[in-house]
Amino acid sequence: MTETAIHLDRVGKSFALDNGKQLTALSEIDLRIGKGEFVALLGPSGCGKSTVLRLAAALETPSAGRVTIDGKEPQALSRAHRLGVAFQDHALLPWLDIFANVALPFQVAGRKVDDARVKELIGLVGLAGFEKARPRQLSGGMRQRASIARALALQPDVLLLDEPFGALDAVTRRHMNLELQRIWSAQRITTLLVTHSVDEALFLADRVIVMSGRPGRIIRDISIPFERPRHPSVMRDKRFHELVDELTLALEPEGAAP
Amino acid sequence: MTLQSEAVHRLVLGAVGVGLFLAIWQVIGTYRLAGMTWPPLTDVLAFIADPSKQGLFVRAMLASFASVALGYVVGILSGVAAAMLGQVLPIMRPGLDRLVAVIHAVPLVALAPVFMVLANRDLTPPAISALGVFYMIYVATTSGLKAASHTHRDLFTALGSSPTSRFLRLELPAALPALVSGMKLAIPVAFIGTIVGEWFGASRGLGLLMVSAMQNFQIPLLWSAVLIVTTASLALFGLMSLFERLVYGRFQ
Ligand SMILES: Nc1ncnc2c1ncn2[C@@H]1O[C@H](COP(=O)(O)OP(=O)(O)O)[C@@H](O)[C@H]1O
Ligand SMILES: [Mg+2]
Repeated sequence: MTETAIHLDRVGKSFALDNGKQLTALSEIDLRIGKGEFVALLGPSGCGKSTVLRLAAALETPSAGRVTIDGKEPQALSRAHRLGVAFQDHALLPWLDIFANVALPFQVAGRKVDDARVKELIGLVGLAGFEKARPRQLSGGMRQRASIARALALQPDVLLLDEPFGALDAVTRRHMNLELQRIWSAQRITTLLVTHSVDEALFLADRVIVMSGRPGRIIRDISIPFERPRHPSVMRDKRFHELVDELTLALEPEGAAP
Repeated sequence: MTLQSEAVHRLVLGAVGVGLFLAIWQVIGTYRLAGMTWPPLTDVLAFIADPSKQGLFVRAMLASFASVALGYVVGILSGVAAAMLGQVLPIMRPGLDRLVAVIHAVPLVALAPVFMVLANRDLTPPAISALGVFYMIYVATTSGLKAASHTHRDLFTALGSSPTSRFLRLELPAALPALVSGMKLAIPVAFIGTIVGEWFGASRGLGLLMVSAMQNFQIPLLWSAVLIVTTASLALFGLMSLFERLVYGRFQ
């Protein structure tokens, strides 16, 4: 494997609940994501996928173990404005138009907005002509595309995506997967994608990690063999179907035992 | 389309409501259903329109409206400033909250005579207005500054935002709808503050007019003053409602 970018070293995370009890969300998570690697994180809902991603984004601190990015604390990455994130909730600012939303990372970083770069990104996600539109005037799919453009604005070293297409219908979702693949192939940013769609994980990722819940653990780590760039026809490949079956089985409650 | 027809619908209903209210006022007054102290609306309007009374009303209105405006603006500026201070310096927050709660707990009516003795008697009406408005705006802005969603906050953290940038680009714009709602509700508060302040012996104003009309049993004068104050307060309240809708449409 190439150089490690994101490293979760025997990480545990527990939350203090309101009733005074502790909830162990993650235990003994060991995960290395290489530089330029695209890793998809699959698992039933509530198994701790978002928590893994939030630890990498320095939005949570581990209760046990250590999280590093390029050997440093994950805060160092966000403070240096080298992190791109997109959530299931697009998190666009309703009072800014699409151009200003995509340009937000420049302003937060205190840099001069690179108009050409913002325009280019808006074109890249297929929103050319909507620069002056407000988020509320766009469809759910368009908003998600804008939030992905925003995540890419500063050419981040690491991209963290938490079910960015989770709220979209199947057709739009497939379309978005194609676009994300195209964008990612051009830039090869280290990416962690949380999803609960097996197809999405297989189509986009170099590696698929499967988690099981209570407490969240990693139960599978599968390398995906398909050549890039991937054409949608790869989804009709026999090997693709075998992997879908394997992962679907792993996701079933009893699938944990090999 | 539907939104527009809904707005028209509400406008019509509102107009019907106001019309009905004025008609009932007129009927009660005409037939003296509530005794001699309830004049018909037309008598009150004729009294206001009487050229010989113009000077009186204009002078009183100028004094009262200036006081309302002064109290409103000072109350808003100080309320927003105090709320921002609590946000930027969280260490100040508990102290500010308690101070504001104490100010609010003291009845404004009780403060008026104290102001009269302490300060200029013509500064009492705007001061009482400002206090009431200040409380309203402090509470609205403080809650507004907490209105930004968790995902938006997470986004700013992940983007490596400084506290200043988070405040200016997220918390402040997210607080605007609550602030404007507070500004709308503060309109009647500003009017009440001024009128109450004037009752305690200001040298000019509609509040003073009301007190002297009451004491001298000048019924049409009393009702005229009340009608002017109410109309002005309602008109500004309606204007702020429109502005509020504009801001909500844009910032939420
Ligand atoms: N801030 C929090 N406080 C308490 N419990 C939490 C918190 N965040 C997550 N959890 C719990 O941790 C577990 C994993 O959550 P999450 O990582 O969001 O799962 P997933 O993204 O896989 O659906 C869940 O049981 C959830 O209720
Ligand atoms: Mg989740």
